[in-house]
Amino acid sequence: MTELTLKINGEDVTADVETRLSLADFIRDHRRLTGTHLGCEHGVCGACTVLMNGEPVRSCITFAVVADGTEITTIEGFEDDDPMTLLRQAFHENHALQCGYCTPGMLVAARDIVTRLPDADEDRVRLELAGNLCRCTGYVGIVNAILSVIEKRRL
Amino acid sequence: MADGGTTEGKGIGARVLRKEDWRHLAGKAKFTGDFQRPGQKEMAFVRSEVAHARIVSVTKPAGFESSVFTAKDMPDMQPMRAPSKMPGYKGADYPALAIGKVRFVGEPVAVCIADTRAEAEDLAQATLVEFGELPAVVDMLAAKAGDAPLIHEDWGDNLVMETFADDDFGKIADRATVVVKREYRMARHAMNPMEGRAVFAEWDDRTDQLMMWTSTQVPHLIRTGLAQFLGLEQRQVRVIAPDVGGGFGCKALLQPEEVIAGWLTRHLEVPVRWIEDRREHLVTGANCREHHYFVTIHATPEGRILGLDCDVTIDAGAYSVYPFTNGLEGAMAHGNLPGPYDIEVYRCRTQTMTTNKPPLMPYRGVARPGVCYAMEMTIDALARDIGVEAHDIRTMSMVKQEQLPFMSIAKKHFDSGDYAKSVEMVVDMIGLDKIRSEQISANGEGRLVGVGMGSFVEQTAHGTSVFASWGVAMVPGYEQATVRLTPDGGLELRIGVQSHGQGMETSMAQMAYEVLGIDPSQVTVTHGDTGLTPYSTGTYASRSMVMAGGATARACRVLAERMEIIAAHLLQCERAEVTVRGGKIVSGKGEVSFAEIGRVWYLNPDELPDDVDQGGIEVTMGYRPEPDSGAFTYASHACKVAVDIDTGEVEVLDYAIVEDCGTMVNPMIVEGQTYGGATQGIGTALLEESTYDSFGNPGASTFADYMMPGATDAPHYRIDHMESPSPFTEYGIKGMGEGGTIPTPAAIGNAINDALKTIGAEVTETPFTPRRVRAAIAAANKNRQGDAA
Ligand code: FES
Ligand code: FES
Repeated sequence: MTELTLKINGEDVTADVETRLSLADFIRDHRRLTGTHLGCEHGVCGACTVLMNGEPVRSCITFAVVADGTEITTIEGFEDDDPMTLLRQAFHENHALQCGYCTPGMLVAARDIVTRLPDADEDRVRLELAGNLCRCTGYVGIVNAILSVIEKRRL
Repeated sequence: MADGGTTEGKGIGARVLRKEDWRHLAGKAKFTGDFQRPGQKEMAFVRSEVAHARIVSVTKPAGFESSVFTAKDMPDMQPMRAPSKMPGYKGADYPALAIGKVRFVGEPVAVCIADTRAEAEDLAQATLVEFGELPAVVDMLAAKAGDAPLIHEDWGDNLVMETFADDDFGKIADRATVVVKREYRMARHAMNPMEGRAVFAEWDDRTDQLMMWTSTQVPHLIRTGLAQFLGLEQRQVRVIAPDVGGGFGCKALLQPEEVIAGWLTRHLEVPVRWIEDRREHLVTGANCREHHYFVTIHATPEGRILGLDCDVTIDAGAYSVYPFTNGLEGAMAHGNLPGPYDIEVYRCRTQTMTTNKPPLMPYRGVARPGVCYAMEMTIDALARDIGVEAHDIRTMSMVKQEQLPFMSIAKKHFDSGDYAKSVEMVVDMIGLDKIRSEQISANGEGRLVGVGMGSFVEQTAHGTSVFASWGVAMVPGYEQATVRLTPDGGLELRIGVQSHGQGMETSMAQMAYEVLGIDPSQVTVTHGDTGLTPYSTGTYASRSMVMAGGATARACRVLAERMEIIAAHLLQCERAEVTVRGGKIVSGKGEVSFAEIGRVWYLNPDELPDDVDQGGIEVTMGYRPEPDSGAFTYASHACKVAVDIDTGEVEVLDYAIVEDCGTMVNPMIVEGQTYGGATQGIGTALLEESTYDSFGNPGASTFADYMMPGATDAPHYRIDHMESPSPFTEYGIKGMGEGGTIPTPAAIGNAINDALKTIGAEVTETPFTPRRVRAAIAAANKNRQGDAA
C-alpha cells in the first residue's frame, strides 16, 4: 500500500492505495465519482480522460500513485468552468451524444481542444479527437459542437 | 376527441432537444458498472485459451476453493436453450459455464469472486485448467468438409441449418443473356458498444426477488430467460437496465455472465458485479457479420436484372443464443438478398455452419449489411461488364412506386416509397457527372478517385407473423404502453422497450405531446425495468418507435377520453363539447387543466361524475401494426473515395445519404442514428476485423489490433430525407435505428472498385484494408501480364 495525497475537483484527498490501482479505479470505486468511464482500459478510447494539473490524461493507464501531489479534475468538477458550460450546451444542441458513455471523456478532451486551439478548423478538430472513440454518433454532432464553441469563444 | 398539440411544435416532426442529455453531460448518468454495495463481490472469469478441447481438469487455487466455481458446482444452473422451429435446425445449448468441453477461445470455464476485480482476476489466473486439445474448425467453408472435425459430436456434421429456394431460370434464359458471377466475404467482427456488457445482481429478501441491473436492450427477455435457466418463477426476478452505453444487438440476448451472476447472488447471498473489459469483449464478443457469398445476377444486355442465384454461407460460431437462435441470420439473408429489386426468378441456398468461434449474434442491420454488400457489389460488377452506369441498373430494376404495396420475390410485403427516386437524388447529391469528368482528366497515377453507391430496403418493426415464420422461441405480439396522470397533472409514461442512445425519453414524450399537447418536459418516460413497465420483447429490429410509439399514442387517446368525461362534468357541459388540446381540456364554457383532473380523481373523488371510467387516469394499451408484416424503410448512400494504388489506402472524400423512414418523429434523432450507423458501416468496410489463426486463436484482442472508426475515419456526411408514411402504422412511422449500417460497405466497396476499374482490380472481401486493396491490384496486374504473355 502506498499513501497518496492529491486534490480531486478542488477537494484535498488522502488515501492508502494498492500500487497497482489505476487512477480510474481510484476515482470511480474509491471516490465514487462514476462520471469517469472505462471503455477499453488500454489507453485507446479516451472515455476515461480526466485533467491532471490541467492536462488531459487517460486515467485507465495512469496509476493512482502517479497522481500523488497532483490536481485532478473529473467531469464532476467543472461546475463553474466557462468553456465546459459552453461545451455542455453545444453538445446538447448539436445532438453530440446518444448513449452518453463516451460523453464525459469527450467533453474533457473537447475542453482541451477549444482552450488550446482557438483557430482549429474541422480537420484539426477531427485529428485532435482521434484519441476519443464514440460508437454511436458518427462524430457529426461532436465535431459540430466543438466547432461552434470555438466560434463562440472567438467573438 | 383529443387533437393534441398546439403550434409550438414539440410533437411529431419536431427537432426536440433530448431530455436525457443533461445527466450524461454532468457525469451523473448511472450505468450498471456504477452500482456498488457494501460487501459486494466482483466476478472474474477463467476463460478457455483454446478453441476446441475437452476439459481434463480444473484446479482451484489452494485455500480459495470456495471462491471459484465451475459448472460442476452449479448443478441447478441449466444451459441456455434457444429452440427454433426452422426445418432441420440444430441449435446447440449454450452452457453458461463450459460442461465437459470448450468450443471457442474465451468461453467461460470458471468464475472467481473476490472483494475487488483485481483480486478476482488473481484467482482466475491462479486457477489451472488442463485441456485435452481437439482439432478446431475455424473457417465456415472448411466446416463443410466431410472429414471436418465435429464441434457437436452428436450432430454428425457441422450444419446448423439450411434454407433453400429454387426457381426455373429457363423462364428468363432468352432475355437474360448477361450473367455475372462474383464471390464475396464479409469479415467477422465485434459490435463494441463503448460500454461493454455489465451486470450487478443481488437478492432482495424483502420481495424475495433476484434483482438484476444489467446492461441490456431487452430486460423482460432477460427476466424470462433467467427464470427458466435458474429454476425460478418469473415473479421472483426483476431486471433493470439503467443507463446503457450502446447495444447494437449484442445486448439483445441473454448472456452467460447474467445467468452466472444470478446463480451466485442467490446461492451466496452477497451482491455480485461483473464489468466486461474490452479484451473480454473483443475475444468473446467477436460474434457478428461473418458471411460468404456466391452471387450470380442474370440480366438483359441493357442491365435489367431478371434473375438472382445465391449461395450463402454463414459462420454461426459454437452455440445458439437465447432467444433469437443462430438461425436468424440465415433466414434474414434468404429474405433480403433481392433487396428492392423486382426480379422474376430467385434461387438461394443458405447454409449456417457451426465453428469454434463465439456464437453469432445479430448486429445492427443483422444479415442485411452482408446481403446488401453482396448484391450491390455484383450490380456494379454487372455495370462495368456491360458498360452502363450502375445507378441506371438500379432504377431500371427496382420495384416502382406505382407497384406498391408489393410482395417481393422473397415474400417481403413492401409498403410505401419511391426507391428509384432515392437513387436519383443521391446520384445528384454526390455529383456523379463531376466525378466522372475528374476521373477522365486524372492521369491514373498515384491516387485514383472512385464513386460508388448502395441501396437497400429494410423491413422494420415486423411483428408476430414474421417472427412466428422464423420459428424462434420468442415472438413479439402487441406492444404495450402505460400512461398515468399524476395528481399534479404530469404524465408518467411506461414502456417495456429500452432506450440506450435512441433518445426515447424524448421521442416517446413527443408522441404524448402529439396526442395530449402536454409539454415533453412534464412527461417522465420510464423504460427498461420489468417491475415498472409492461412486458415487451425489447429494443431490436428497429421496432421501438413504431411499436412502443404506437402504443403510447393509443394509450394517450384513451386517457384523453377519460379526462374529457371528468372535464365535461366539471364544466357542466356535454361530453361532445370538450376536447383535449394543448395540455388542457377545453370547451366553449372554459377549460380544465390536467392538474385539476388529477386533483379530482385522486384527492377529491366526490367531485367526479357517476359515469366516470373506473379505470381512472391510468391506461395501458397495446398496439401492433395491421398488417404486421413490417414497415419498409429504404435509403441510398453514395460516396466518393480516393485509393492510393501504392499503399492501398482508401480515403472517403465525400458521403451522401438519402433516406426514407416514413414519418419522422424527431429528425435530429433520425439523422443521429443514420450517421452513427453509417460510421459503423465504415468500420465494417474499411477497418474492423476479428482475425483468427488456424488454431482458432483470436488475433485482435485490444483496440491496437482491432481498428475502430475514429473522427478522422468518419466523413462529413450530407443527408437528405424523403418521407413516405407507411400505410400500416400509427402516423406512418417506420423504424430506422439500423438502416445506416446497411449500405455502407457496398457503397464504399463499389467506390473502390470504380476507382480501380482502369486497372481491372476488384476488392471482394471486407474490410478493404490497404493489404487487401494492394493484393487486388497485384492480382489484376498479374492477370494482365498473363493475358499479354
Ligand atoms: S478507458 Fe482509458 S483510454 Fe479507454
Ligand atoms: S454517445 Fe455512445 S459512445 Fe458516444
